[in-house]
Amino acid sequence: MTSRGWLRGTTVRKGGASSSSNTTRNSTPQIQSTSTTVFGGGVKDPSGRTSEYFSMDDQCPVCKSDRYLNPKLRLLVSACYHKMCESCIDRLFTLGPAPCPICNKTLRKLAFTPQTFEDLDVEKEVAVRRRIAKDFNKRQEDFADNRAYNDYLEEVEDIAFNLINGIDIPQTEARIAQYKIENAAIIEDNLRKEEQYAQYLKEHEEAERLEREQRAEELRKLEEAERLEREQGRQELIDKLETSDKDVKKLIARSRAEAAKRVAARTSSSLQRNTPGFLRSRPTRSTAIPDVPHVPIQDDWYAYEDKFTLRKDYDDPVSEAVRRDREGIMRAGGYTIEEAWERALRFAVAGLDLQPLQGLQSQISPADQDAAMASA
Amino acid sequence: MPGPGRIVYTQDGDLGDNKRLATLSLFLIVHQALNPMAAEQTPSVASTASARSPLYEASTQYRHWRFSPEQLAHTRTTLNEAAVKVIRDAFEADSPGTSADVSFLDADEELLLVKLYASKVSQFCGHFRFPEEVEATAVTYLKRFYLKNTVMDWHPKNVMLTTLFLATKTTNHPIALEHFAAHIPRTSPSDVVDIEFLVAQSLGFDFAVWHTHRALWGLWLDLQALPDIDLNELRKAYDIALAHVRASRLTDAELIYAPSQIALACMSLASPGLASAWARAKCSSPGSTPGSPSDSSSPTPDTAMLQLLEPIKNMILTQGSPPEVEAVREVDRRLKLCKNPEKIVGSNAYNKKREEQERKAAEKRTRKAAQIRKAMADGDPFGSELGDQMLVDDDDDDDD
Repeated sequence: MTSRGWLRGTTVRKGGASSSSNTTRNSTPQIQSTSTTVFGGGVKDPSGRTSEYFSMDDQCPVCKSDRYLNPKLRLLVSACYHKMCESCIDRLFTLGPAPCPICNKTLRKLAFTPQTFEDLDVEKEVAVRRRIAKDFNKRQEDFADNRAYNDYLEEVEDIAFNLINGIDIPQTEARIAQYKIENAAIIEDNLRKEEQYAQYLKEHEEAERLEREQRAEELRKLEEAERLEREQGRQELIDKLETSDKDVKKLIARSRAEAAKRVAARTSSSLQRNTPGFLRSRPTRSTAIPDVPHVPIQDDWYAYEDKFTLRKDYDDPVSEAVRRDREGIMRAGGYTIEEAWERALRFAVAGLDLQPLQGLQSQISPADQDAAMASA
Repeated sequence: MPGPGRIVYTQDGDLGDNKRLATLSLFLIVHQALNPMAAEQTPSVASTASARSPLYEASTQYRHWRFSPEQLAHTRTTLNEAAVKVIRDAFEADSPGTSADVSFLDADEELLLVKLYASKVSQFCGHFRFPEEVEATAVTYLKRFYLKNTVMDWHPKNVMLTTLFLATKTTNHPIALEHFAAHIPRTSPSDVVDIEFLVAQSLGFDFAVWHTHRALWGLWLDLQALPDIDLNELRKAYDIALAHVRASRLTDAELIYAPSQIALACMSLASPGLASAWARAKCSSPGSTPGSPSDSSSPTPDTAMLQLLEPIKNMILTQGSPPEVEAVREVDRRLKLCKNPEKIVGSNAYNKKREEQERKAAEKRTRKAAQIRKAMADGDPFGSELGDQMLVDDDDDDDD
C-alpha cells in the first residue's frame, strides 16, 4: 500500500507513517498531501494541493526526536529555512514570537510552512522567485528592443541570486523597493492583464466544456432518432413484405438505399463545426534593426562587355612563349590565353570615362582618418 | 563565359594572374568582413545591390586609393606637420632645447625621397628578374604607404625592400627571404620583414592593384581590332608607350586617374593618331550614341576623353623622371638629423620608449597572472564572465 501510494503521488495520508513503521526503514522520499492546516504556504501543485516532503530519516534538529520514536513526526520549515517538528514549534512559539533555536532569528508560529522539496535551498529559491515574479512582471512587449528586455531579465536574475544567496540583502531590498516605486503603473497594469488573461482562459475553458457537453447531447439525440428510424423502417419493410407481392430483393434494396441516404445527410450536417482557435494575441512593438544580408560579390563582372570584343587571335609578343608551348609545361590546368587577353582588355576600358576627383571635400579617404597613425 | 570565381593556373608570370585575382578577391571579401572600416561601407553597397557597380568601381583601388590632387597635397602636408610635431616633442623630451636648430623635412622633400626609392625598385627587379607586375605593385605599395606614414619615421630605403618583398608574395612570385636579403648589400632578413605587418596594415590590406601596364597591354590588343592598322607602327608606339607607363609610376597619376586613362595617355604620347582613332572607335561603339557630324561645335565624347588625358600627359612629362641624386642626397643628409629618435635603435629616446613598452608589458603580465590566480582561488578557473576587464587592456599592442 505504501509503495503504491507514493507512486501515485496524490494519496492523502495524513500522518500516515503509522502503517509504514513495520516496513523497512528506507530513505525513499514520500510525498504526502495535506489539507491546509494551521501552517499555510508551501508549493502548490497544479491541482492546488500542497505535496509535503516526508522521509523515513526525518529527525527534528531541535529535540532530536525522529520517526522511529515518534511516527507522527511532522517537520515544518521556518522563515529562516530551518526545520523543526510540530511539538517543538508548539513548545517554543505558542507564547508569542521567540528566537529560532538554530540561528536566533525572531520567528512566529504562523510563519512556518510545510516542506515541499527535499533540499531546503530549492524551497527557498522557489519562494524567493515567486515573490520576485509578483513585482517583476514586465513582459517582452514592454520593451523597445531585445537588448533592453535582456538587460531587464539579467537585473531580475541578479536580484533573485542576491536574495537566494544572502548577498547584499539591504541593497537588494532597496533596489526592489525602488523598482516597485518606479514601475508601479506597469506592475499594476501587467497584474491586471495577467488576471484578465487567466479569466479569459477560464472562460474559454468553460465555454469549451459546455460546447463539448452540448455536442455529446446532440450526438446522443441523433443516435436515438436514428435508432427509432431504423426500427420504423424495419417495421415498414416487414409490413410491406407482408402485404405486397413485389420482389423481396428489390424491396430490401430500396429500403437500404433510403437508410444510407439518411445517414449521409446526417453526417454532413453534423460535421460542419468550426473550432475557433484561440491565440494569445498581443500587440508587439519592435524597433529591431534589420539585419542586412551579406552579399559577397557586389561588383558586376559583365559591366564592360559592351566596350570590347575579344578576337580569335592577336599579334602578341608578350604571350607568345605561352601560346607556343604545346605541351603545357608553362601552363597549369585550365589556363587559356583568351582569359588573360580578356582581362587585359577589361583593364584597358575599365573606368575610361571616370572624371578625376576635384577639391578636398569630395571624399574623406581612410588615409586622412589615420594619417598620424605611425607618428603616434 | 568566364565567371568571377574561375581559377586559372600558369607558370608564366605576367599571364596567370586569374588565380591570384580570385584568391585575392576572396581575401578582400574576408577582409571586408573583418575590417570594420570596410564593413561600414558594405551596407551602402548592399542597399544598391540591384545596380551593382562595375568591376573597377568596386575595387579597393577605386574606393580607398583614389584622390584629387588637392586631397593628396592636403594629406601629405597634414601628415608632415603631425610628424614634425611629434618628433620635436620627442627631441625635447630627450634633451630640452635641442629641437630648435633641427631643420625638418617638408612634404615636398619627403615626396622627393620616396620618388627616388620608387625609381630604385626597377633596378632590384631587373637584378632578381622579377616580372613587371611585381615592380609595379611594389611601387604602388610604396606610394600608398607614404600616404599614411612619414619618411622621418620609416626610411624609404627599408620600406622599399619590404614593399618589394611583399609584392613578390601578393603577386604570386614568391622568393626565399634569405635569398632576397643575401643579394642586397648590407641587408639582413630582419630588415626586410620586421616592418612587413606595419606596411600591410598601412595599406589597409588592399593588396590587389589595377595596373597601368596591363591596361596598356589590353590597349595594344584592342588596337589590332581597328581597321587598316599598321602593325609595325603599332609595335613601335607600344614600346614608347610602355616607357611612358614606367615613367608614370614615379608620378601621382595612379592615385588620381584610372589605369585605363593613364594607359591611353601614354599611348597618346607615343602616337596621338592611334590613341584618338581608338577613342573614336570606343565612343561610337554600339553602347553609346555616335556623335552626329552636325553638332561639331560641342565636344564629342572622344574629344572629351582625349581632353581628360592632357593633365596626365603633362604629369608624366614633367614629373616622370627620377629626381636629381644630388638634391636627394642633401635631403637624406638632413633626414639623418631629423629622424624620429624613438625609431633609431640605440638612441636615448628609443631606449626610453622600449623601457616604457617593456614596463607596460610586464605590468600587463603581472595583472593577468594576478587575475588568473584570483580566479583559481575563487574556484572559478575560467573567470567569472566574459567581462570588460579581459578585453579592456588589449589596446596597447603597439605597431612600432
